[in-house]
Amino acid sequence: MMSVSLNINGRDRSVNVDGADTLLDVLREQVGLLGTKEGCVEGECGACTVLIDGAPVDSCIYAAAAAGGRQVTTIEGLARPGDYSPIQQAFIDGGGVQCGFCTPGFIVTLTALLRRNPDPSRDEINNALSGNICRCTGYSQIIEAALLVAAAATSTPTPAGAVAQ
Amino acid sequence: MTMVGDSIARSDAGAKVQGGAMYGVDHREVGMLHGAILRSPVAAGRIVSLDTSAAEALAGVYLVCSAADQPETMAGWVLKDQRLFATGNVRFEGEPIALVVAEDRATALAGVAAIALVIDELPGVDLETACSSEARVIHPDWQSYVPAGGEAADYPRRGNVAAEMRAEPAGVDEAFARAAQVIEDRFTTNRQYQAYLEPKAAVATYADGRYTIHTSVQHPYNVRERVAQLLGVRVSAVRVVGKTIGGGFGGKLDASVEPIAAFAAKLTGRPVKIRNTRTEDILTCPSRENAIVTMRTALDADGVMIARDVTVEMDNGAFSAEMPWLASLPLHILGAIYELAGPTRVISRLWYTNTAPTGAFRGVGGTYLYMALEQHTDHIANTLLVDRLQFRRAHLIHDGSASLSGQVLGDAGILAEGYDELERVAPWQQVLADLKPWQGVGIASGVWMTNPMPGQATVKMNEDGTVHVITGATENGSGALTMGVTQIVAHELGVNAANVYVTMPDTDVSGYDAGSQGSRTTHIVGRAALDAAIEVKRQLFDVAANLLEADPADLTIVDGRVSVVGSPAVSIDIADVANAALWTVGAVAATSSYTSPAIPFDAGCGSGVLFTTMSTPTYHVHMAVVEIDPVTGRVKIVRYVVIQEVGRAINPVGVRGQIQGAVTQGIGLALYESLRIGADCRYLERSLEAYRLPLALDIPEVEIVLMEHPDTNGPFGAKGVAEPAVVFAPAAIINAVSHALGRSITALPVTPEEVLSIIEEIEGEA
Ligand code: FES
Ligand code: FES
Repeated sequence: MMSVSLNINGRDRSVNVDGADTLLDVLREQVGLLGTKEGCVEGECGACTVLIDGAPVDSCIYAAAAAGGRQVTTIEGLARPGDYSPIQQAFIDGGGVQCGFCTPGFIVTLTALLRRNPDPSRDEINNALSGNICRCTGYSQIIEAALLVAAAATSTPTPAGAVAQ
Repeated sequence: MTMVGDSIARSDAGAKVQGGAMYGVDHREVGMLHGAILRSPVAAGRIVSLDTSAAEALAGVYLVCSAADQPETMAGWVLKDQRLFATGNVRFEGEPIALVVAEDRATALAGVAAIALVIDELPGVDLETACSSEARVIHPDWQSYVPAGGEAADYPRRGNVAAEMRAEPAGVDEAFARAAQVIEDRFTTNRQYQAYLEPKAAVATYADGRYTIHTSVQHPYNVRERVAQLLGVRVSAVRVVGKTIGGGFGGKLDASVEPIAAFAAKLTGRPVKIRNTRTEDILTCPSRENAIVTMRTALDADGVMIARDVTVEMDNGAFSAEMPWLASLPLHILGAIYELAGPTRVISRLWYTNTAPTGAFRGVGGTYLYMALEQHTDHIANTLLVDRLQFRRAHLIHDGSASLSGQVLGDAGILAEGYDELERVAPWQQVLADLKPWQGVGIASGVWMTNPMPGQATVKMNEDGTVHVITGATENGSGALTMGVTQIVAHELGVNAANVYVTMPDTDVSGYDAGSQGSRTTHIVGRAALDAAIEVKRQLFDVAANLLEADPADLTIVDGRVSVVGSPAVSIDIADVANAALWTVGAVAATSSYTSPAIPFDAGCGSGVLFTTMSTPTYHVHMAVVEIDPVTGRVKIVRYVVIQEVGRAINPVGVRGQIQGAVTQGIGLALYESLRIGADCRYLERSLEAYRLPLALDIPEVEIVLMEHPDTNGPFGAKGVAEPAVVFAPAAIINAVSHALGRSITALPVTPEEVLSIIEEIEGEA
């Protein structure tokens, strides 16, 4: 066991981990953040996606110890409680959610994409989503949600996928 | 205010986008222990010894149990052929043998690894072996098994034949004897895994002689019954509490880890959680069955179809779940689109094999049956040198056509209307003319059904004017409750949909419901909820009439206020009416139930016909245009059109999501997804890495045309919507691939490797 200090959704905290613990285990079992989902534990489905220093990673294959000193953002950290980020709102409005088990992973992945590239094409969105599986929606309404946020962002000065602080 | 027909946001979307929705796998109880299951590593064999002493000796282990500890009861959805743990023999890889319960999951898994198990392995029996030879009988005691419905409900079965349906009208052999030619095809399909994103999990507790199970299943009442059967208790001793469901698609209709968790909760006196790893989930999920379909059609000298002969061999797996019932499906599909000038014989057999039990996956066997029928139809049209679309239109069933079970399809003419719609959005000659090299177009069409099974809903008006709908129905993600039923009740009561709350299922509280299957929830539960809402409205009007000094017949509710028609100034908030009711007639609430009416059929149509008719039929026409990359073998869907009868679209955005998602699963079955059974009867694909699911990159934007012929029984005319699009997608896509390659396609899926080998074959012949 070792103590690891990291920042989760804007709060500093330390967790006790051993070498085998994944970041997903720590988030779900120690920190009690259950919004990040576990679909496969093999880096295939993307349900466990979180941001580490702003970049999306599969937390199920990311060693918790490696998160030391880094900023971890989970689905719970994308907007103020009770508030929705633009991409969250677009999912609600446009049918991007069905069972919702994949949704946190998709929203985290798209948040990273829209910050990097506020006006992505459909192909760029498809490519960004190549590590996220949704079994329910057939993807169209998810892709449209991202396009909608992009269109709104390019017509207003607010950055797309902006994080509430 | 209109609610039905509006694309309002689903009521659970907020929590789902924020990570706040709690699924079965997220549930936890104070003092909870963790269970891990020792599963059979082989497909068939005799358990020689099971030594659990090393597991029991591990620090932190609370319980190790196995067949030696289980109650002497048998269980099953249709046939009672199952036990809690493998008893004496193992019959499929993944079958539970023992359970280790420990203070944490890692210790439980270590306990499983410490068990010494010796199995005397036997060669496994797969489908080909089962139906082509004198295979070993997998259940030597099959005669002693009793149907869940009692001895009187027994049906044709023998040895490895788990169920048999035979419809053998007179004249088939005679017609074949005088045929000018016979078109014959043999099709095979592999298994398809539901691959819902949330692996199965359950938390069970035991107190006061009763079990409580928190789990995310599609059919809580069915799971309650299975747990009761396996534990040898009455159903009321089991309470199933629903959690948010992370997808199911039929894979979560029956119990899985729930009975074992419940058993362990009683033995330890502590809450016990069991959750599947993804590999365990793949190994044990009731996937869509693999099957072999043989189809022969006799043509006379004029090319008239004078008889058809179909045999379907379906893989049941090692135990019967829902499948004996589904063995009747071919009878309905194979006579329900194109009329023949002669009889059709259908024989379907369900075979026990040493593989995981199969079950329902959205669209069930309709997927590969329509694929077989539509490829065969193309084969006939091409042989006769008739245009494939013209051939279909010339043989379509029409209003009043009868199915092979004798069901009269009064509105089958909707099928022709579907073809008209297709011609409007995709003129056939134009589509053919526009095809580029390596492109092909395929058509599929037919009838599908809305599951008729019973459901109940209670509608209660709260003192603040909001509404609760209490039901045992489940929201599997389709939106049937969070959009469909919500909007139906809001519309009828004249309140905002945001003020309607549908509760989670709880078998102690909510009335019986037959689960989210076969697109039934909006239609059946929506109807029950509508009837209850109508009664609630009557109660409100009675009370309001007194308060407003008006005739109840003159009242209406608009925006949450009861008012007199024609004098909107005379009005009262429904909250005030609900409060006033408490002190006079009592709280405003009503309960109603609904099940689709029985449909007449021909009882002499065949033997072993466990399900007899297609309730609330809907009609569908699909068209796919594909392009083949001759270098990689990859098939790209260039265009996909769905023409679908829905009765009434309660929420158009929701309907679109169901169709887009269902087509995607059909694309998966047609082109990528294949759960292959190896020579040792074990699955070759055991992870999501190996089991190829459709990704965003693979999926076209589906063009959708909805036809609306309101159903007289459905709430506001709604019929089943969510399931059908998956049924026709493989057929349309396979016909398009076949057209592009100029070859029959006889196996699902047609993967890139498969496409390349067909291209090689063609080039070899050239
Ligand atoms: S759970 Fe991490 S990728 Fe599936
Ligand atoms: S919404 Fe169910 S997996 Fe995406």
